[in-house]
Amino acid sequence: MFHRECGYYKTSYQGDQAILPFPIAKQAIFGLLLLFLIVIPFFANEYYLSQLSLVAIAVVGALGLNILLGYTGQISIGHAAFMSVGAYTAANLVTRIEIGGEQLPFFLALPAGGIMAALIGLVVGIPSLRVKGLYLAIATLAAQFIIEWIINHTPAISGGAAAAIEVDRPALFGWVMNEQWELYLFVMFFAILAIMAATNLVRSRVGRALVAIRDQDIAAEIIGINVFKYKLYAFAISSFFAGVTGVLYMYYFSIATYEQFQIVVSIDFLAMCIIGGLGSIVGTIFGAFFIIMLPVVIRIVMESFGPYFMDPSYLPQVIGQLRLIFFGGLIMVFLIVEPEGLNRLWQNIRNYFRVWPFSY
Amino acid sequence: MQPILKFLSAKFAWILLAAFIAFIVAEGGVGVLIKDWRFAVELAVDGVLTGLMYSLIAVGFVLIYKSTDAINFAQGEFVMIAAIVVAGCLDWFGLPLWLSILVGFGFMVVFGMTLERFVLRPMIGMNIVAIIMATIGLAFFLRGAGPLIFGAAPSTINLPIPDSPIVWGLLYLTPIKLLGAAVSILFLAGFGWFFLKTRKGVAMRAVADSHQVSMAMGINVERYFAVAWVTAGVVALLGGLAWGNMIGVDTQLALVGLKVFPVVILGGLDSIIGVIVGGIVVGLVEALTAGFVDPYVGGGMKDFAPYVLMVIMLMIRPYGIFGRRLIERI
Amino acid sequence: MTFLKTLGMAAAVTAGLAAANAANAKDIRIGMMCDRTGPTAVTGTVLCPGYHDYIALVNSRGGVMGNKIVANEIDIEYKVPPAVEAYQRFKQDGAVLISPYGTPMVAALLKTMEEDKVPGTSAGFGTAAAANGEKYPYMFPIAASYWSQTAAAVKFVKDKFGGDMKGKKVAYVFYDNPAGREGIPVMTHLAEKEGFEWREFAVPAPGLEMGAQVLDITRRFRADFIIAHVFGRAPAVMLKEFKRAGYPMDQIIGLVWAVSEGDIAAAGGWDVAEGYNTIQFAGVGSDYPVLDEIKAMYKADGKEPPKEMEFTVYYNRGVFQAAMHVKAIENAVKAKGSADITGTDVRDGMRAIKDFSLDGLLPPLQLSAKDHEGGGFVRVFQVQKGEYVPVTDWYRAYRDDVLQLLEEEHKG
Repeated sequence: MFHRECGYYKTSYQGDQAILPFPIAKQAIFGLLLLFLIVIPFFANEYYLSQLSLVAIAVVGALGLNILLGYTGQISIGHAAFMSVGAYTAANLVTRIEIGGEQLPFFLALPAGGIMAALIGLVVGIPSLRVKGLYLAIATLAAQFIIEWIINHTPAISGGAAAAIEVDRPALFGWVMNEQWELYLFVMFFAILAIMAATNLVRSRVGRALVAIRDQDIAAEIIGINVFKYKLYAFAISSFFAGVTGVLYMYYFSIATYEQFQIVVSIDFLAMCIIGGLGSIVGTIFGAFFIIMLPVVIRIVMESFGPYFMDPSYLPQVIGQLRLIFFGGLIMVFLIVEPEGLNRLWQNIRNYFRVWPFSY
Repeated sequence: MQPILKFLSAKFAWILLAAFIAFIVAEGGVGVLIKDWRFAVELAVDGVLTGLMYSLIAVGFVLIYKSTDAINFAQGEFVMIAAIVVAGCLDWFGLPLWLSILVGFGFMVVFGMTLERFVLRPMIGMNIVAIIMATIGLAFFLRGAGPLIFGAAPSTINLPIPDSPIVWGLLYLTPIKLLGAAVSILFLAGFGWFFLKTRKGVAMRAVADSHQVSMAMGINVERYFAVAWVTAGVVALLGGLAWGNMIGVDTQLALVGLKVFPVVILGGLDSIIGVIVGGIVVGLVEALTAGFVDPYVGGGMKDFAPYVLMVIMLMIRPYGIFGRRLIERI
Repeated sequence: MTFLKTLGMAAAVTAGLAAANAANAKDIRIGMMCDRTGPTAVTGTVLCPGYHDYIALVNSRGGVMGNKIVANEIDIEYKVPPAVEAYQRFKQDGAVLISPYGTPMVAALLKTMEEDKVPGTSAGFGTAAAANGEKYPYMFPIAASYWSQTAAAVKFVKDKFGGDMKGKKVAYVFYDNPAGREGIPVMTHLAEKEGFEWREFAVPAPGLEMGAQVLDITRRFRADFIIAHVFGRAPAVMLKEFKRAGYPMDQIIGLVWAVSEGDIAAAGGWDVAEGYNTIQFAGVGSDYPVLDEIKAMYKADGKEPPKEMEFTVYYNRGVFQAAMHVKAIENAVKAKGSADITGTDVRDGMRAIKDFSLDGLLPPLQLSAKDHEGGGFVRVFQVQKGEYVPVTDWYRAYRDDVLQLLEEEHKG
């Protein structure tokens, strides 16, 4: 390829530890930012924009879950519940507090939703000191049901019998974002922020502590890591991401309803982490993209080729079932064949081209 | 900060439990319970029977855990697929009931073996989170594949059991629940004996303890894995028959799997007697909250109460009432 | 990599769309969301084929004034993000009418559809308040809301008791979610007005087991009549449990989602449900000319009519939705004079629907700019010897009370 990794001499510790060690990486990031922030919003039509927006929102939540699952080794099957905590917190704040006749701006509601979710996450995380593995999975499953039940039955939170709160579109100093490209930029901004935050987090002291806990928590404790504290950190950070995801969903759909954060959503996010690659930021992005796009691709493929080998009137039914089969099947296949997920495949491709065409 | 949290994590559960009981007493009122004691007895009996029906589903789960140390989040889907196969034989091919059950039995045996060979065996030695996720994937796979192959229309399994209740003094019994409860106790007793007294049972427990050590001791780990999954499949068939008759057969039947978790956590994951006790406790709590708390809170506490109890249990004794305490070494 | 994938995917999608667009240049497009795999698959697997069959019937007769109608379906698994994807895809294809499926999806798309000026129908979903055409100008419930249904159910019970409900006991069994709780205000109001005693019995999701509630209703509360508002798996469970408890089936009335043929099959067959009453906003049973025409259409193609036609509750409901959509489009095309219609034209066409009954399959709906519910008409059917038999005519009850409650809801 055009680029070789030789010839760059690191003369300082900063240079050695930089996130983007080579100029090509900087150029690539710059190119991607240019593409996603300027080219796509101007040239893509609304369909692609809405899809990318959904992917961007999912990336935020999946990153949070991957910090917990991939970096700390703690499982959570109740992540969707934290999203609903974030969404309802923000929805209540936004509709109840008015500043100058306007609803509370998003830059206050968004962190508020995240912080509330983080607090609830801390409470759910307390058992993680005593229980782990399977028990933690079941405890978080219970948290999912309990949070759902409480929201469903508390009109003060859920905003009345319909348990749904309608909110206005996000507005920034009078600029109301209701076009698809505006909403796209809105969610993409937070997705990029989340990616940056997660990338830096895992390189920090906290990130290294989390990895140590994942690999062997008792050993981590012996080398002086406060396991309890860092497990709670992991839960809080992860729930914060989830809460923000919930708020983004709320703004994107301009409604908060608990029915959109049910257990299947938690499973979707788990699948994003596993298929993307546990403990990998880039993998998480791939995973989110993959899971959101999987049903679309299956449908397009089946609609194009299905009529050749089956009665078209059965097609809609078959597409639905196939999606479940692929979803479940891919989780199993990735776990068995490639536990490091799409990230590993990406690494393989990159490593191949790194030395191409002289692969010896 | 941290000592407080540590204190909380240990005592928090007791506080929660006390609050939960106080809540039920204050809301439901012991007075009402005494006043309506006849109704309370009827409810309790129905609850115990229903709870034992939950145990019937939970047996498969405990069986797998006890013999392979794997967690099966797809237990509900096992039940569903077994019921779908039997109902499919009855509806599509018009087979008699006994033959349909036989076909279902054969299917579950093959299914259990295939599953073990292609999904679980490659995962031997992987950590528990990976196995949990694999079974979750399996659950979705089955929800898609079952209706695709055997049809999505809801159906039922009509067993030759009368519908009308048996009223016997204070006891108010439903035949299908009675039968389900009896089968469940019978099977649990059988498995209890198997694990404690037979050579194979002891080998299975050894396998669960450590795959590597068992291999070193000359135990054929793969074979016992297969035996465990096949048995779980066959037990799921029984659950499928009973529950399919109770609530009908389609993909929604898989949701009975969610009832398994409170049962096994309360009783203890690796305890056979725990499954019975856990089932009874869950059934009782459900019935009594539905009868004596629901009217006062204006919502369905029934499916929620067992989960609250379960969280409390996780905090006090994560290994359950009868479970074995795990000691971790590096 | 993300970039490459995006490009590849985009290319694939564009190619697919372009091909589809080129092939059907002058068609009128409808977007149809469906749930064939999610928690309400019992409904979706039957309703959607009914929908497609009616559209095929219309097209086999030359479509709407010579223009073919293309109804695309996307399965959304009762999840919100796929619904958003489906909506954008439909909009991309140029659909003039999009029908969301499921209460949370309707809620999530409400605002977008209004901004995009695309009308939609939500028969049987969403809150009673959505019937207000001034507040939600692009969403049409087109069928009786849960409030109208509950009021009609109370009226039916009252008639059963000979016009006097004083001192009678009514149990309101509901699925414990927002949609299930919807009937409670109406029950409270009417209980006060008619002087009957009532209690609510919650069936929490997923409603697989309700032994305790049934015992409570039959052995302690001893209800004289039961109004059941349950969905999903719960109706079959309810039928079976009440049958076991020996409760007379003709003293139960279910709202629209409680008990279709599929649920009866799951509960163990027609004998179990003998006598059960059910409220419907579209006719059930197979005794309608339009269903015969669909059968004839299949015969003409040399095919057997699909087995979904036996499940008339949801099949007919699919036909009902399709008929309403086609009628609205027809009105729009007539008003405009060409097939070049927009979403707003279709909305006005929908609002212009009056007395469109399709030989008894539909209630005598009266839609207007204010009332998107169409009057809230329902009809009670009873299970008699293996089929649904109508026991009342299309009717509505306590209309003023319902409207007054709606008024209060909007203020509050």
